[in-house]
Amino acid sequence: MQPDYTELSQQDMAKQLKERLNKSSSERLGLLTSIDGGQLALLMLNPVKGTCSVLESPIENNTYKAYTSNFAQFHWFERALFDMFGIVAEGHPRFKHLLLHEQYEKDFYPLRKVPLPENFKSPIERTYQFLEVKGEGVYELPVGPIHAGVIEPGHFRFSCFGETIVNLEIRLGFLHRGVEKRLTEVPWQKAHFVAEAVATDTACANALAHAEAIESIAQVEVPERAKFLRSIALEIERLAVHIIDIGGMCTDIGLLGISATAGRLRGNALRMGDLLSGSRFLRAFIMPGGVRQVEEARLGEIKAGCQQLRKDLKPVWAMFLENQMAIERMTDVGVISYSLANEFGLVGVGARAAGINYDVRQYFPCGKYPEYAPPPVVEKGGDIFARERVRIGEVWTTLDTIEKLIDNIPHGDVKVEMPRELPKMAWGVGIVEAFRGELIHMISTDMNGNIRRYAIKDPSFDNWTAISIGIRNQLIADFPLVNKSFALSYGGNDG
Amino acid sequence: MTMLKLFTYLAGQGIATQRKLFPDLAEGVRGMPMLTDAACESGCNACAEVCPTEAINLFKYDEKGGITLDLGSCINCGYCVDVCPTKTIVNNPTTRVAVKSRSALILTNGPKDKTETQEAIAKIKLPTPKFGARELTKPFKYFNRAVAARVVSTGCSACDMEIGASGNPVFDLERFGVTVVASPRFADALVVTGPVPKGMQPAVTSCYQAMSSPRVVVALGTCAISGGVHKNGYADACGIDQILPVDVYVPGCPPHPWMIIHAFNVAMGKEPPARE
Repeated sequence: MQPDYTELSQQDMAKQLKERLNKSSSERLGLLTSIDGGQLALLMLNPVKGTCSVLESPIENNTYKAYTSNFAQFHWFERALFDMFGIVAEGHPRFKHLLLHEQYEKDFYPLRKVPLPENFKSPIERTYQFLEVKGEGVYELPVGPIHAGVIEPGHFRFSCFGETIVNLEIRLGFLHRGVEKRLTEVPWQKAHFVAEAVATDTACANALAHAEAIESIAQVEVPERAKFLRSIALEIERLAVHIIDIGGMCTDIGLLGISATAGRLRGNALRMGDLLSGSRFLRAFIMPGGVRQVEEARLGEIKAGCQQLRKDLKPVWAMFLENQMAIERMTDVGVISYSLANEFGLVGVGARAAGINYDVRQYFPCGKYPEYAPPPVVEKGGDIFARERVRIGEVWTTLDTIEKLIDNIPHGDVKVEMPRELPKMAWGVGIVEAFRGELIHMISTDMNGNIRRYAIKDPSFDNWTAISIGIRNQLIADFPLVNKSFALSYGGNDG
Repeated sequence: MTMLKLFTYLAGQGIATQRKLFPDLAEGVRGMPMLTDAACESGCNACAEVCPTEAINLFKYDEKGGITLDLGSCINCGYCVDVCPTKTIVNNPTTRVAVKSRSALILTNGPKDKTETQEAIAKIKLPTPKFGARELTKPFKYFNRAVAARVVSTGCSACDMEIGASGNPVFDLERFGVTVVASPRFADALVVTGPVPKGMQPAVTSCYQAMSSPRVVVALGTCAISGGVHKNGYADACGIDQILPVDVYVPGCPPHPWMIIHAFNVAMGKEPPARE
């Protein structure tokens, strides 16, 4: 969708944020970044109206007063802003590097284009200092970046007293591949391959957000059939990963029979991806202008697959939900309260399990949403068990949605021709409910119609900190379950 | 009681494991592309134009159109197959794609004895590893019965999920003697997924150093071989090939579980590579 655009001074921006982000407001922060280092570019979302707006504010002397002290949700955005652009957020309570590690030179700001002020020196070192917890008997337990299982890398620094975790600091950025910069360097017609590759387990949602953003800049609308197919693809991806995430929770608890069955049944969902797009991960299916064509017979097979999967999954989830050991390990562990989730701007499954009713499909136009959006699955309690119940609930609503979409899909074209060039100095935003939560792609073009800034906000970026807070005063043995209950992306977070 | 319920449920499910080894992919499912004998249309460059990773290069020999297709850079998007007017590039449904040398990933339809073909192949830059040379150069049978694999993920997690899928009851990687281990000290094979950006380079190198000989390195997925769509970025994410000596390459984005199992069997010496 096309965002509203306002340019304003730093003082006015601070005032506007105070009004628009207070507790009773319905607006929320989408993302905070810069275009070339000379200004802040903030995306504000209004779910109730289904609109969004870009606030651009030039900064002087490469520094501004940090917003994190007033709005906790900004904290990683302001650190990433420094890593990518060198802009200093004065007064940030935990000002450290986020994405670029010791391998990079000290004053390397990859996305910055305007020159740094004379004599500017980075106020912090590349070597990362972890928060130290002092006290007799307190020890530090480092885990990662390479983990025991086949999973993406990240570093967890626990400060423990006996078996109890006193503090957890999460350090990511190991998978930073410079995707946002690549997206401004490749020709925009081929950019969807790079946009998908940010996190290929979320390939479909990333491709969809990318296509929506580019189409809103080019002012192109895709045919109805393409919109239906896009939503079907998004739901198939959600289905496949939710099944394996619940299965992963069973593995961590020790219910291997259930997790092996979940792994096998996930294959049925991946088969639907194969039928729709030729790829288990729905890769190269959605691109700006539409989708690849799908025969009716395949849609029929997908619908039959949904009906079979519903029958197959019922006994499996039932065994999980009535297993006493599982219930005891999940109840009241890793609790994220409603107020904490609100303060940090949590999205997705983690937020809905804490009682926050926020599902992008209900609010922002994308594919066949909000028309075909399923009722959101919201639980109270914010513990691991609540998150798993949300996932299981979403598996059922997703199966319903896929069948409903297939029942109503029209015939017709699936692609429109994209213009040769994009409009100059234009903004476009794609907001999608990926299986993890709210995913945003924001694009800005320059005087020649080329992409000058491509910002991606993965849902994991909002949620990672919740894990370090939810794990306090729990046992080390609870950590794998808390981590798996969120099932966040490392690669999507790092870009 | 719940255990009994679980046992009864599982017993009632029957055997899920696919018996036929390395079956072809189903119709409509994208595998890697391959070249046929069909001649190119004169002056056509449709495939090279659409390729997102510059895996396709064109040359001429005897007035005919020649193609070099580097599977190590191919993310099997299928666009080249879609646009080719002469069926020179088609889909290859095979799940046997793993090879043991980087040059075996370069396909060409030009006759091997022509200088134009050899020059075109030589134009494709292949990296040399910074750290050491391949240790096991003679044919070996150390891992013929069992291999312990340490998987280091440096990528987007699609390849990792497919490795996880290889271990599920349908494909059952473990029946071939493969175990996935947590400690590099226990590992025989270092399996790398993802393009290995700067942030992960020290970690992967230490992991390799912690493994004792004999050891093999498997580059799993196109990102691990050449960086895929991430190469040429400032994060130096060009694959494991430029850091460690690689013994087995399996292209794909991501490779199918059967392709992964085939790669392990090639590493164990139980199956021949797809091409020399």
